[in-house]
Amino acid sequence: MGSMFRSEEVALVQLFLPTAAAYTCVSRLGELGLVEFRDLNASVSAFQRRFVVDVRRCEELEKTFTFLQEEVRRAGLVLLPPEGRLPAPPPRDLLRIQEETERLAQELRDVRGNQQALRAQLHQLQLHAAVLGQGHGPQLAAAHTDATSERMPLLQAPGGPHQDLRVNFVAGAVEPHKAPALERLLWRACRGFLIASFRELEQPLEHPVTGEPATWMTFLISYWGEQIGQKIRKITDCFHCHVFPFLEQEEARRGALRQLQQQSQELQEVLGETERFLSQVLGRVLQLLPPGQVQVHKMKAVYLALNQCSVSTTHKCLIAEAWCSVRDLPALQEALRDSSTEEGVSAVAHRIPCRDMPPTLIRTNRFTASFQGIVDAYGVGRYQEVNPAPYTIITFPFLFAVMFGDVGHGLLMFLFALAMVLAENRPAVKAAQNEIWQTFFRGRYLLLLMGLFSIYTGFIYNECFSRATSIFPSGWSVAAMANQSGWSDAFLAQHATLTLDPNVTGVFLGPYPFGIDPVWSLAANHLSFLNSFKMKMSVILGVVHMAFGVVLGVFNHVHFGQKHRLLLETLPELTFLLGLFGYLVFLVIYKWLCVSAASAASAPSILIHFINMFLFSHSPTNRPLYPRQEVVQATLVVLALAMVPVLLLGTPLHLLRRHRPHLRRRPAGRQEEDKAGLLDLPDASVNGWSSDEEKAGGLDDEEEAELVPSEVLMHQAIHTIEFCLGCVSNTASYLRLWALSLAHAQLSEVLWAMVMSIGLGLSREVGVAAVVLVPIFAAFAVMTVVILLVMEGLSAFLHALRLHWVEFQNKFYSGTGYRLSPFTFAATDD
Amino acid sequence: MLEGAELYFNVDHGYLEGLVRGCKASLLTQQDYINLVQCETLEDLKIHLQTTDYGNFLANQTNPLTVSKIDTEMRKRLCGEFEYFRNHSLEPLSTFLTYMTCSYMIDNVILLMNGALQKKSVKEILGKCHPLGRFTEMEAVNIAETPSDLFNAILIETPLAPFFQDCMSENALDELNIELLRNKLYKSYLEAFYKFCKNHGDVTADVMCPILEFEADRRAFIITLNSFGTELSKEDRETLYPTFGKLYPEGLRLLAQAEDFDQMKNVADHYGVYKPLFEAVGGSGGKTLEDVFYEREVQMNVLAFNRQFHYGVFYAYVKLKEQEMRNIVWIAECISQRHRTKINSYIPIL
Repeated sequence: MGSMFRSEEVALVQLFLPTAAAYTCVSRLGELGLVEFRDLNASVSAFQRRFVVDVRRCEELEKTFTFLQEEVRRAGLVLLPPEGRLPAPPPRDLLRIQEETERLAQELRDVRGNQQALRAQLHQLQLHAAVLGQGHGPQLAAAHTDATSERMPLLQAPGGPHQDLRVNFVAGAVEPHKAPALERLLWRACRGFLIASFRELEQPLEHPVTGEPATWMTFLISYWGEQIGQKIRKITDCFHCHVFPFLEQEEARRGALRQLQQQSQELQEVLGETERFLSQVLGRVLQLLPPGQVQVHKMKAVYLALNQCSVSTTHKCLIAEAWCSVRDLPALQEALRDSSTEEGVSAVAHRIPCRDMPPTLIRTNRFTASFQGIVDAYGVGRYQEVNPAPYTIITFPFLFAVMFGDVGHGLLMFLFALAMVLAENRPAVKAAQNEIWQTFFRGRYLLLLMGLFSIYTGFIYNECFSRATSIFPSGWSVAAMANQSGWSDAFLAQHATLTLDPNVTGVFLGPYPFGIDPVWSLAANHLSFLNSFKMKMSVILGVVHMAFGVVLGVFNHVHFGQKHRLLLETLPELTFLLGLFGYLVFLVIYKWLCVSAASAASAPSILIHFINMFLFSHSPTNRPLYPRQEVVQATLVVLALAMVPVLLLGTPLHLLRRHRPHLRRRPAGRQEEDKAGLLDLPDASVNGWSSDEEKAGGLDDEEEAELVPSEVLMHQAIHTIEFCLGCVSNTASYLRLWALSLAHAQLSEVLWAMVMSIGLGLSREVGVAAVVLVPIFAAFAVMTVVILLVMEGLSAFLHALRLHWVEFQNKFYSGTGYRLSPFTFAATDD
Repeated sequence: MLEGAELYFNVDHGYLEGLVRGCKASLLTQQDYINLVQCETLEDLKIHLQTTDYGNFLANQTNPLTVSKIDTEMRKRLCGEFEYFRNHSLEPLSTFLTYMTCSYMIDNVILLMNGALQKKSVKEILGKCHPLGRFTEMEAVNIAETPSDLFNAILIETPLAPFFQDCMSENALDELNIELLRNKLYKSYLEAFYKFCKNHGDVTADVMCPILEFEADRRAFIITLNSFGTELSKEDRETLYPTFGKLYPEGLRLLAQAEDFDQMKNVADHYGVYKPLFEAVGGSGGKTLEDVFYEREVQMNVLAFNRQFHYGVFYAYVKLKEQEMRNIVWIAECISQRHRTKINSYIPIL
């Protein structure tokens, strides 16, 4: 948990991987997921790297796998993920896997090809049979005799042998969408010297490749003359029609049909055999494919990582540079030792100094992950900067709950989250693919806390589905008031609203033990009372939250060794914030404590006091809160304003002053200066690279020399303006707590009044009421969930998010880092 | 059409315009070309193309990789994109896109007819046809013996039909006639397309008209160049020129009289646009007239992207993509034939 407060120390390590053991080492590191490799060959293009041949081989293999997978998918089988963790196979196994896969793929291709050919054949037979059996016959014969009877009757009797010689047929099948175009083209090209009849097939045939049912149009064209016949054949060719021989005699056709049916039956038997064999092959594929895929994927990842290494001058080992958490260094060393001893050599890792900012590593567990996610969504923290996530764990649900305070709604949310938390280990829940569901599921602990805090604030606001609950006896007594002022029955009947006066003895017995007194829910001034309370509460929470943010900055300054910023930045900032807005908070609390109902008539107005504080004036009608108030206020304002120039000029002047002697002394003793510079740097790691030390020192100096006064000044000016204006606007921004909680309360109030309470008052008879209440309650429940829980919840979430990102985090968090993304096989294993 | 495409253009075509601009952004950059030129083998070329927006388009090709495979796959990709545009387009953009395909259809028809003349099998030629210009009746082209046959039987239902009015004749289809047919078809196609863009008005006309005018002039030049030393008479030649563009009418009359390249160049010298182009021919790097025209075309097409709310981007994108494909094929050819000296004479797309 300690690592939550700031990101872990990460070091740049140099790994010397002996060529023989490099593969096993990297593969082991991939299993552990400890290090992030740096690309040492950024200037070398992808196909000129060292292991490109191996990568290409893996890709070849993956291509085959894709083919196999496609085949399996087409057969309607499901690939199961492999069981257990499979390590990346040793390189020599690649050949074996490749061979096995190739053989299997070849076998599958053969069988599939056979099956395809058989099916195509069968398809042809079926089409042929369909064309023959389609019954173009009688119709065509009729047309045929008609045609001849028009032309020939004078010369010859119809049905003579001569006429049969001259009529030819082309029969076949075509896809339905092409049929009209074909028909038209035939007609145009042959100028009508033909009779074509098209018919749709009654039952669809299976497509030989895809296996989907497809209907076909069969056609029968009769024509006169050989030239036209050629044309027709060309045209049918170009439309990719299946053309079949069409015998002229009815008898012969029937014979052919019978033969075809017989053939297709035989073919179907053969096809059945082939398919059985195919399923056997597929069964083997099912066994081989999943582990093979994982293994080759890992192998490829290893080679890609190895491609990022540079080769040592002796070619004996590969040199890799990697970021690794300091905490994991022993594990890294051990892993390297373990995986390289087999080869009789040893891989070494040692830390090297580095000038680049290391990546940020914050370990999370399933509870903290969602909170860290909220912070990271704004920006991954700079290396070793204070991480706001641990504080967010409490403040985020709390600020959310301030806006969402309702016992009932909070309870529903809590139960929903609790159900998710309890079911989190069930595989069905984990495997759910729905994106929206996953979003909620990942934030389940966040939701849990949000629900819990909403219940708490709901009790404070004393609201449960907008109704007040009286757990404790109310602190107000109506009876005492009635007795004291002698209200008669007639008086009571006449007046709809009456005032309870707390100054009358016995009416106000003391504050309600916890939260808002339920009697307020009956009061006409319920809303103005709550508004005053919530507004002040928002300002108090806001100022505390922001001050906490400024204080967190202290840890950053101390950690990065910038002590001057404590004095020149944090202190002025705190003074400014607390002197102005902290004082406002003080006024609020002071008035709560010291002004009682007795003096309510002449109670001072904080608002006027606060405005007067800035104007250095005082209004005679507004009674001071405490003696010498004006002196205190004037001091605070002067102090706060005096802090602005300090904030504006302090850091730049300090940096310039520290920088100037540097410049002056430089020509004199450069060496010592360099050393001193190095020692000054808190992050500079101890190293044995004397040649680099010089270089690093030199670089450091040059960098400081680049300190441009105008730039520093500009940066600080922007920061100052942002902070000072931000204090005003951010404090105002916290009023959204009040606004949202008001909106939520009013919305649930409206829902109750417009739906449920109308339903309850609808009928006095129990039977009718029971029947009526069912749909009304259903409507109430649905609207509660949809509007109040989901919609309002999302909006409150959004505003809580904004308060954290903008108002809180801009006080100390820069979020300009980048995450450590270790080289790991975890994604492949899943 | 009313002026002011800004108001309503996006209602119908905004999505596609955004899409085509995104596609344009995926064209290869100068850096990509530099890397491609360094490739040693086609496999390297493939690996490098994988890092660009082409992605894994060659992944399912069996070895060995050949230039024609790359070409086919690239065409398929372009065709896929174009089909997507077309399927999502509304009028009048869909008509515009149809016009764009017409030029490919003309080329395909001519190719098939030539093939039929040389007694090649239809299958073989189909492979060479551009997929953008495919249509169902295409393969039946070889049954026609005269242009009017061709029109009446086969092309009457295709978008090419209107362009046939000028070239109905009963002449047998020999090589010369086919070439004439192609040019006449192209001429009426360009004129119709030009008229369409002109009538459409607005930014589309502003952008497309110069591009088409250039296209017309380029055709006129190329026809002239190709007719030197053939039996084509000057009068016939003049009938083949598209009747619009910067050269129309004076320049075309002069071009019709030209007898060799120098005379053609003299004609071009009268035009500020074409003078520099002709001067660049044969200069450094031994550029041909074709190269120079391609460069000019690329320039114009890139400029088309500077304006919004018009259809010209679709035309320009397809042309740029085609140029890019020509470049890749050129580089691939140079690599596979180990002819590296000329590898740099691709036409950069800026």
